Amino acid sequence: MSKPRQKAVLLSDIHTILVKNLFKQNIPDDVIVKENPRTIIHYHTYGGLSQFFRGLAGGRLMGTICIEDKCRATETGIWLPPRVHCPDCWEKMYWAEINTNEAAVYAHSTTNYPGAGFKASAPCPLISVKIPGVCTKFMSYLSEFGEGEPYIGMPVRPVFNTEKPTYTILDISWIPRD
Amino acid sequence: MVRFGRGNLRIPKLSRSVYVIAAGMTDFRKFYPEKQSTELCLEALKMAVGENLGLSPREFRGMPNFCVYSQFADHFGDQLLAAAKIHDYLGLDPLGNIEVKTGGATGGSSVLAGIMAVASGYASLVPVVGWERMDEVNTRQGNAYIASAACKDFESELGWLYATYYALMMRRYLFECHPNRETLAKIAKKNHDYARFSPYTQLPGNYTLDEILNSAVVSDPLTFPECCAMSVGAAALILADEETAYRLTDKPVKVLGVGAGSHTLRTADRRDMPVLLLPNEPPELYQNRTSDWPGFTGFLAARFAANLAYRMAGIQDPVEELDVLETHDAFTVSDIQTYEDIGLRPYGRGAEFVESGDCYFEGRLPTNLSGGLLGGMHAVGATGIFQLSEIFWQLRGEWDKFHADEKYWARYGKTKPVDFKSLQISNARRGMAVSHAGTGSHVTATILERAW
Repeated sequence: MSKPRQKAVLLSDIHTILVKNLFKQNIPDDVIVKENPRTIIHYHTYGGLSQFFRGLAGGRLMGTICIEDKCRATETGIWLPPRVHCPDCWEKMYWAEINTNEAAVYAHSTTNYPGAGFKASAPCPLISVKIPGVCTKFMSYLSEFGEGEPYIGMPVRPVFNTEKPTYTILDISWIPRD
Repeated sequence: MVRFGRGNLRIPKLSRSVYVIAAGMTDFRKFYPEKQSTELCLEALKMAVGENLGLSPREFRGMPNFCVYSQFADHFGDQLLAAAKIHDYLGLDPLGNIEVKTGGATGGSSVLAGIMAVASGYASLVPVVGWERMDEVNTRQGNAYIASAACKDFESELGWLYATYYALMMRRYLFECHPNRETLAKIAKKNHDYARFSPYTQLPGNYTLDEILNSAVVSDPLTFPECCAMSVGAAALILADEETAYRLTDKPVKVLGVGAGSHTLRTADRRDMPVLLLPNEPPELYQNRTSDWPGFTGFLAARFAANLAYRMAGIQDPVEELDVLETHDAFTVSDIQTYEDIGLRPYGRGAEFVESGDCYFEGRLPTNLSGGLLGGMHAVGATGIFQLSEIFWQLRGEWDKFHADEKYWARYGKTKPVDFKSLQISNARRGMAVSHAGTGSHVTATILERAW
């Protein structure tokens, strides 16, 4: 009597696609190029920066500031993007709401061919924003723009995506101050 | 870092001299279905060993006790521990090896790791092999993968496109420094043109300035011919100590200086600071500077790396004391910024390096005769090694051997152009390559000198 044996078989729902043309070029007949499709979900923590993204969803722009004497907070100013720890003394910093009354465009470029996964419409004017009191330049986008906009020095104010927050940096954008 | 401690500015010293003794590469293409990365790496190293060093693979494989591998992005290649496959494929097990990763500067950093291995005495002969395979995803996904090398919390979602991050700097550069817009296009024209004289390059082209300026805009003001290629290909360099170098070749090339620098991944986070001065810059040079430094117009990482490399090599004036240069011209604007960071001209005056003719073949410091990243290639892990390979061949007087010979054009199914000209610099003695990552997150500067 033969020994009972299990089988290991290929799943029946495998759908293999061989590619014949890529990058507008034909693939040589003797070369196999196959599709490797995938859908993957990553889980990303904002950790100690969660407060920043919760702030955006609530319509507030928050940065961090170091209050240690040796770090001369008044000289360095507020970090935006925020950091939990000060890069100079490694102590925890304090959260501070950003005053954007004098925010202005520092640099800009309209992206015409965004990469895969971009969640806004294109063309999209990306801007770096200069904010007095902040030691960094904040990268964001201009969500309302007319002819000749943005331009360097253009006064802007933030608007927040509080209705259906994405909990990404896209929850804040800027519009002309006027 | 805004304030330096003395230890930060210590000039590096090698415990013993290190030499480059051979180089090799494949051609570079947008799409290379005919060959796997293992095959490409083998071909690059085989060229260095066989055609440059004149050894058989069997002889060579008995020489190293350590290897360095250079690949930027595991997600492009879709293979973790890819170096183990390459290393095995080259028949080099069970030798110790490391895979280095510093973004676009991976090639330069890998060579630095190889230099350290030889200089420390750990190894006497080290192959450094770099590659990238960027054709397993379409161009949009490729751009998103590259933008994964921006900050995923605060930058990547804003466009998933590195060209935009450089375009922001370009806007600022044009605003602060007022170069002619055409001067930037001239860099693209030059490098696409030099790429025509190399069998290895991906984007050779005989453009007019109008064609460059009127091409489709990727992210304004950058047009397509002003942005680098996405490539597939490999390059290899062989390093050795003095005794091994002179035993294996009559014409070794010495590592005269090497420096590495870094700066924040996010361009946004670069705090204003006093300009770090190079050996050729007097303290009063930037006394009246009103704009931020490094701001969006300079790269602290490049300046930091060049400063260490120059001081280590004893170089005062790079334009006078170097004969050939390869820069990381990923975008026209980053190239002009780099001219200033590495002291070819003071800050704000990089355009003069182009307009004076200095940067051209037969100029004072010919730059990117290889075609660079704009015309040549940017198979990221291979790039820094490709640059140093081209410098090495220039210093050895072997540019013609590896570019003019019909054999190499035929190898890659190409035809040598009818107006082909030699780009061998006569009597080139010293050269430098600058390898650059991110929006200036890591930079290495490596200076080589003829040693015979």
